[in-house]
Amino acid sequence: MSGLRNRMNRLRGTEASSSVEAVLAEPTNVTVEGGAHEEEEELHPAWSSFGVGVRRNEYGAYLLRKTVYPLDHRHGTHAVGELTEAAAGLAAFHRETPSPESILYLDLETTGLGVGAGNVPFMVGIGYLSGDSFIIEQTLIRHPAEEYAMLQDLQAKLRNYSYLATYNGKTFDWPLVQNRMIMNAMRGQTWQLKHLDFLHPSRSIWRNTLASLKLSHIEEERLGIARMEDVPGSLAPQLYFQFLADGNPAPLEGVFRHNESDLLSLTCLSIRFGYLLQETVFERIGYPVEAEELVRTGLWLGRMGRSTLPEELFRRAAAAETAAPSSLLMLAAADKKAGNWERAVLLWQKAILRAGDKHNEDAKEACIELAMYYEHRSKDLESALAFALQALERSEAAIGYGRRDSKRRAEAEAVRNRITRLRRKLGQQEGRGMSG
Amino acid sequence: MNKWTGRAASLEEWLGFLKTDESVMENVTHWRTLPPREAKYAPLPDDLHPAWREALRLRGIERLYSHQADAYAAARRGNHVVAVTPTASGKTLCYNLPVVQSILQNEEGRALYLFPTKALAQDQVAELQALADLMESGIKTHTYDGDTPPTVRTAIRNAGHIVVTNPDMLHSAILPHHTKWVKLFENIKFIVIDEVHAYRGVFGSHVANVIRRLKRICKFYGSNPQFICASATIDNPREHAERLIGEKVELIDNNGAPIGEKHFIFYNPPVVNKQLGIRRSSVLETQKLAAMLLKQGVQTIVFARSRVRVELLLTYLQELIRGKLDDKSIRGYRGGYLPKLRREIEKGLRTGEIRGVVSTNALELGIDIGQLQACVLNGYPGTIASTWQQSGRAGRRQESSVTFLVASSNPLDQYMIQNPDFFFGHPPERALIHPDNLLVLIDHVKCAAYELPFQEGETFGSEPLEDMMEFLVEEKVLHRAGGRWFWMEQSFPAHGISLRSAAQENFIIIDMTTSEHRVLGEVDRFSAPTLIHEEAIYIHEGVQYQVEKLDYPEKKAYVREVDVDYYTDANLAVELKVLHVDKERQTGELLRQYGELTVNAKATIFKKIRLRTHENIGSGPIHLPEEELHTSGYWFSFSEEAAARKSKNEMQYALLGIANVLVHLAPLYLMCDPFDIRVVPQVKAVHTQRPTIYFYDRYPGGIGLSERLYEVHDELLRHAESMITSCGCLSGCPACVGPIEEVGLLGKQQALELLREAGGNA
Repeated sequence: MSGLRNRMNRLRGTEASSSVEAVLAEPTNVTVEGGAHEEEEELHPAWSSFGVGVRRNEYGAYLLRKTVYPLDHRHGTHAVGELTEAAAGLAAFHRETPSPESILYLDLETTGLGVGAGNVPFMVGIGYLSGDSFIIEQTLIRHPAEEYAMLQDLQAKLRNYSYLATYNGKTFDWPLVQNRMIMNAMRGQTWQLKHLDFLHPSRSIWRNTLASLKLSHIEEERLGIARMEDVPGSLAPQLYFQFLADGNPAPLEGVFRHNESDLLSLTCLSIRFGYLLQETVFERIGYPVEAEELVRTGLWLGRMGRSTLPEELFRRAAAAETAAPSSLLMLAAADKKAGNWERAVLLWQKAILRAGDKHNEDAKEACIELAMYYEHRSKDLESALAFALQALERSEAAIGYGRRDSKRRAEAEAVRNRITRLRRKLGQQEGRGMSG
Repeated sequence: MNKWTGRAASLEEWLGFLKTDESVMENVTHWRTLPPREAKYAPLPDDLHPAWREALRLRGIERLYSHQADAYAAARRGNHVVAVTPTASGKTLCYNLPVVQSILQNEEGRALYLFPTKALAQDQVAELQALADLMESGIKTHTYDGDTPPTVRTAIRNAGHIVVTNPDMLHSAILPHHTKWVKLFENIKFIVIDEVHAYRGVFGSHVANVIRRLKRICKFYGSNPQFICASATIDNPREHAERLIGEKVELIDNNGAPIGEKHFIFYNPPVVNKQLGIRRSSVLETQKLAAMLLKQGVQTIVFARSRVRVELLLTYLQELIRGKLDDKSIRGYRGGYLPKLRREIEKGLRTGEIRGVVSTNALELGIDIGQLQACVLNGYPGTIASTWQQSGRAGRRQESSVTFLVASSNPLDQYMIQNPDFFFGHPPERALIHPDNLLVLIDHVKCAAYELPFQEGETFGSEPLEDMMEFLVEEKVLHRAGGRWFWMEQSFPAHGISLRSAAQENFIIIDMTTSEHRVLGEVDRFSAPTLIHEEAIYIHEGVQYQVEKLDYPEKKAYVREVDVDYYTDANLAVELKVLHVDKERQTGELLRQYGELTVNAKATIFKKIRLRTHENIGSGPIHLPEEELHTSGYWFSFSEEAAARKSKNEMQYALLGIANVLVHLAPLYLMCDPFDIRVVPQVKAVHTQRPTIYFYDRYPGGIGLSERLYEVHDELLRHAESMITSCGCLSGCPACVGPIEEVGLLGKQQALELLREAGGNA
């Protein structure tokens, strides 16, 4: 063996061999493999201090931590039991009403990034509503050979649910679970869980309002949750590797708690979205402050087939004193599409006022929109020309020398054409006026 | 000849005219006419699916060439196959026939095609899809590479019958995500590897390991695909394919494709400086010949050995035709051109709109550009195999074609140009790979572990699995549990491992003489410390430049034109340490050994040497980092008796002379770049205490080159002796033992004596 190590070190040239040797502490508590031994094996006492026990089935054993919450357990703004009321709102995702007990919440802690075959979820956290409780079950495999037993139980569990609620689970957690099933030759599963992935709606609504779209950030900013002494998820793999090396369970407590918090936050986030889709959420919490969030929430609700609450949100956004021009434009675009010209015009004008600076792209955008509106809709050519001229001034001010300015040049050119056309039309009008 | 246009009626007529052109013929050292070859046909196989038969018929294919039929039969027998297929012999049918047949019979079946480049893959898909569409069979062929849009990837994974990709993509995208490819891996019946000869050296060693991983994944999904490989003409197609895929293969090499008469003309530029052995630039001579051909309206391909030369030649030729032909009718082609541009050039060549193309060996591979009439090689391409491949670009089935080989003053070129029988009489080189190079192997063991845990009792390469696993457990990337080893690390190992080593990157030489900086040329990485260190005089097309700055990390040398009466010569201190002797053999007075060694090389000082008088007029230090290399080597030592017969000085010259010959001869036995192998003579080697000549592979861990040389030792030395004997020079020249400035007045004599007395060709 050391032969191969020496050869590797020689081939690699300068890499010091000693440093590698030095950190090679022999594991103090190597987990013993093999079914027969496991039965008698004593569980490290530290596990029970944070509620972890052994779970055995015919395929082997793994660790399980089960936590039961009463329905009135509050996690920030919401209590987990509110799911019974909010779940109906989630019908908008799949056009059928999920029963609160048919939703399974899932969050994984994995050894690496991405969805490659070598990324192993060492901890699988699930949460579900059952009778008078909200239950969280977290599995941990003490080594990869325990995965098979764990997956067998997970698979059996999954069959009882129709919905899978996650945060980015469509592209991460669920494909990883499927990977593991394939890798453990547990294929042949044809049932399909319906995804309730809350990353995408969160992105739609908070993209420009929140600094980060991490669940931990959203919960703090919008769900009233403050985590104490949380182990960041990014540290989880290292803590697990450390455990694999030394067998000491203590540092994993933090990972369990982190995963547990994630599941609770995810549940609350789903409650928030449920209420939102029922259009009752702002009877419980205050309306968003920023116009951007008001508009984005309204637009998202619109896409999800809601119309009452969006009107109120838009009304507030249009009236908001501090609305950013870009938010106003976003709303104006929606109004334009819906034929709601009156407010659209108002919003464009407001955007120009707000922008101030002549380099503001949004204001230029608004000028062009207004020029179009006055020319084609209200046939007020004078106003149209005025806005077109203003658009040109702003457009020319923005042109620099960069490559991306070719787009701006083309835009300015289009405005010039508009001005020419407007002047021509105006001339004709005048002519008609004189002759008439 | 048409008296108005100055054009000959045919290539034959023009060649006849050329024979009377003294200005060309005085430089022609050899003119060989290879007779046309008749086609050997075979009927379409009886069991061919009617739809397939019909599609082929619509394509005008009513019968096969013999090798196509044999490849089909071998594949149908269930054997792994390697088909040797020279340029334009219809090789794609060798694999498409059995693959499409199999999918027509079972549409669940899948196939994976591997091509060394994306461009080749795209060609292939176009051709296959056209055939599939003719059949209305629903067979779907897709490329899967870096350019494939994410939106169609899922569809390809699930529904593509034939997935066409490259080894890099397989390595970094498909295998690590094999769970997304269940449908492919469960149903894979064929793996087609085209251009297997391109997978040699370090790259080939990596690819062989990627294939080990591929087979491992297939096995996991319960499939056991058949391999069909296609290769250019090399000396060892069967052995090479077998090493690459790790399976026994059936060899198909009875090429039945016809070819017209072929003229092979060896052209040696005239000597302009007899003393220094300098000939007129091969670039200028190439340009002259290419221009003659183009003016005749002959569609011509020019091959140059570097990108810079391609651009140089292209500029010259375009200037030449300016006003006479459309500028777009002469094009360049090399790596670095965008795919769209390449497609446009390939198409232009096929339709004949483009009359001339200057290319690197990028066009040597089987990209479809149709068949041209003439080929001009700027410099010997480095191997016999490449030379035939490139020359094969010219040659239509019915018409004559011509290939000019224009030699540079490099000794290997000079040997080839003066020894045409070697070229025509010798089989092409062997493709060598060393998949068990420990560094390469361990890299892929990591990737394989990421893809699927290793199990006790599994094997992967020649190293005991347990040793490798234990090593990687210590490295903290694997974790052992339940008789298996699992990947337990956050990283994605394939991302850190490139199949194509960047070690061979060249240094660019930039001329700053005028305010408009231009690229003058390039120098390979290993020669850089001795050729373009700061203050070195770099001679380019007879003009002297001094290196003002060498940006070592950026691989750039900045030079300025100077006019001085000296040149520079740098000393490279090479320290060799033998670590382990694996094989040895004594013949006569010679002991030859093969084993592992470490090499420490450092450029130390340079001397300024006056032109003509060759007196030393100054020196200076070179400050460049030392390079350490652990690799495999082969060396032979002369006996103490032999050492005693010569003074230390004489021995020095003799060894240096022999080494100079061998360094140029070695590539003749290896399919490698001359820079992949190094030769170092030592009068009293540390290891043997005797006069010794060392060869070593210039890649950590070795790639099998030295080992091969160890095997051909006797022939190599015989060859060296005859090369020195037959060289026309009096006492050494750059084309044999080296110039007298280097090996002394008696160098040639000494080298020959030593070889004859102690050669030990027993």
